Amino acid sequence: MNWRKVWTIARTEYLTNVRRTGFIVMTAIIPVIGLIVLIFMAFLAPQASKVGEWLESQLEGGEKPIGIVDGSGLFTPILPEYQESFVLYESPEAAEADLRADKLRAVMVIGEDYLESGRVTALTRESFGEAVIADSTRVRGFMVVHLLDGRVEPSLQRRAAVPLARIESRVISGTGSERTGGFLFTFIIPYFLSLFLVMTIFASSGYLLQSVAEEKENRVVEIIISSVRPTELMAGKVIGLGALGLTQVLVWLLSAWGFGGGAISLLAMTGVAGLPIHIFVLGIVYYLLGYTLYAVLMAGVGALGTTMRESQQLAGIFSVVAVIPYMLASFVMMNPNATIARVFSFFPLTAPTMMMLRVPLGDVPWVDIVGSILVLLLSIPAALWLGAKLFQIGLLIYGKRPTLREVWQMLRARV
Amino acid sequence: MILQVENLTKRFGEIVAVDGLSFEVDQGEIFGLLGPNGAGKTTTIRMVLDILPPDEGRITVLGQRPGDAQHRVGYLPEERGLYRNRKVLEMLAYLAELKGTDRDTAQRRANALLGQMGLEDRAESKVRDLSRGMQQRLQLIASVVHDPDLIFLDEPFQGLDPVNVERIKGFIADLAQEGKTVVLSTHQMNLVEALCDRILLINRGRSVLYGPLTEIKHQFAPHAVRVQSSAIPAGLPGVISVEQDNGAHILHLAEGVSPQSVLRTLVDSGAEIQMFEVSPVPLEDIFVQVVTGS
Repeated sequence: MNWRKVWTIARTEYLTNVRRTGFIVMTAIIPVIGLIVLIFMAFLAPQASKVGEWLESQLEGGEKPIGIVDGSGLFTPILPEYQESFVLYESPEAAEADLRADKLRAVMVIGEDYLESGRVTALTRESFGEAVIADSTRVRGFMVVHLLDGRVEPSLQRRAAVPLARIESRVISGTGSERTGGFLFTFIIPYFLSLFLVMTIFASSGYLLQSVAEEKENRVVEIIISSVRPTELMAGKVIGLGALGLTQVLVWLLSAWGFGGGAISLLAMTGVAGLPIHIFVLGIVYYLLGYTLYAVLMAGVGALGTTMRESQQLAGIFSVVAVIPYMLASFVMMNPNATIARVFSFFPLTAPTMMMLRVPLGDVPWVDIVGSILVLLLSIPAALWLGAKLFQIGLLIYGKRPTLREVWQMLRARV
Repeated sequence: MILQVENLTKRFGEIVAVDGLSFEVDQGEIFGLLGPNGAGKTTTIRMVLDILPPDEGRITVLGQRPGDAQHRVGYLPEERGLYRNRKVLEMLAYLAELKGTDRDTAQRRANALLGQMGLEDRAESKVRDLSRGMQQRLQLIASVVHDPDLIFLDEPFQGLDPVNVERIKGFIADLAQEGKTVVLSTHQMNLVEALCDRILLINRGRSVLYGPLTEIKHQFAPHAVRVQSSAIPAGLPGVISVEQDNGAHILHLAEGVSPQSVLRTLVDSGAEIQMFEVSPVPLEDIFVQVVTGS
């Protein structure tokens, strides 16, 4: 390996691509979005709580009341504060008729033995209406307030109806520093950050693919490999374009950190700002490992195509595998340590994506972090061997894409 | 000895692309590497350049193994290719750097060569904005920008107009003048005749003709003379047969009869001679004859 040549290639690839419009736009987009959010929040912070209430009332389903058929007598009469949203009916039939006439959102028939059995029959027009009733804090509040009315003091009655009226979140991080943030900083920002890290892996290995396919398509590669070894060429490209992606990641992470801090001080919150340091470090570690793995494989597979389009089609296989974790994203978000999430964390091609998704969400076991990094470290040499070999084979084949069988034969032969 | 190839063999699966090929190239000569399409020329060049490893045989380039001599060898591949989106000077400097030349020297040499090829005002242009002839010249510059001692030119005249052909011919001749060695592969036999000292003709991966061009031409010369004259007397001694050729006569001579003696006889016979030449054989005919085996 002649490192001077590798360095020349890496430097040229970096400088050529860093000037591309696509790269500049992609890199600038995160800080710009951050800035917009920051300005938005600065103006809207005072109104934020009102916005929240309005959103909640919309989600609760608007103006149509819920019909109550009270067999137990526990909910009769309806207390004044609930009279707008709940209406009493004598018989289930009358309530059902009004439900059919679309005057009601739902009907709850409360049985005579409600106190003992807790049984309520819910009638709704949509199939998911039942879940809406069961999960509604308003319905829950209605039930609790009426059950306790006159039996406990009013302040206890109100608190029992809404036990978690205001949550102020304080997260004690592993490093001992203390962080105040809430939903936005514990969840949304890290989540999108991890999404963008993964995008960077694909953007930079995409540049790599493009660079390989371009040299092959315009035949420069014949001159290049009469000057450098294929492994040197590949190493130079992987390093140069990896540095390009790292530039992007650093700009993003630093701007997220900076804006996160800025946003918090604007919202007049206390404590240390932004992203936990371990997410920052792990983000870079997974970026480097994930990128190297994907880059060498893409370089090898990309070299097999004879045109850019063909190479991109071939490399598409990897992209499909890598997005599996994102297809499971909503599931993983609810339970970052589910078995399926853990399994994909130990499979090399999905480990970087899955771990980047899980790490910001919360307490990922150390064994998963160490394990996934080990798996990646072990699979990278194998990928390097395979990628370099395919690269070497691919570079000299013009005109026609080799069949799988031919590739297999060539892999085993001396090239 | 600049290049020494011994018993070189390369197989691709069932196909034997190069089959026990041996030849040598001397310093300062222009060596013609000839053969029909698919004869194994490009495969041979690729092995010498260490792009492909040989299956058998030995290659010594400038006294070294092919992999160690790459920086002293230049290559103009038949499959042309340049970085279309890069600037001319920047690209040339990059290619030279990959050969181990330092950047300052690379830029200086690139500028000098651009001037020599009449492209000095194009140094900052994008490669894709150059005309085809200019790109071809640029490609040639790219093969020598790192000041190599041995240069492989695979079809350097392909698709060029006569003005550019002359320019590149001159450039190649100058390289040899400077003591560089050029291995020229082309199908244009008139250019081989004009430029090359020695040739190697390969067919199906094997050497079929190898040696100095003059000797080969002599070896293949038909024993005949071409005469333009008012009349050819019948029954000239030493002449086996006479055939018409474009207003001239070709006299086939018997073995052991020299053209000089025939000329003397003709003059003595009182014939009015406008032209008399020892029938030359174009390299093209030798090529076709050897390759088709006719």
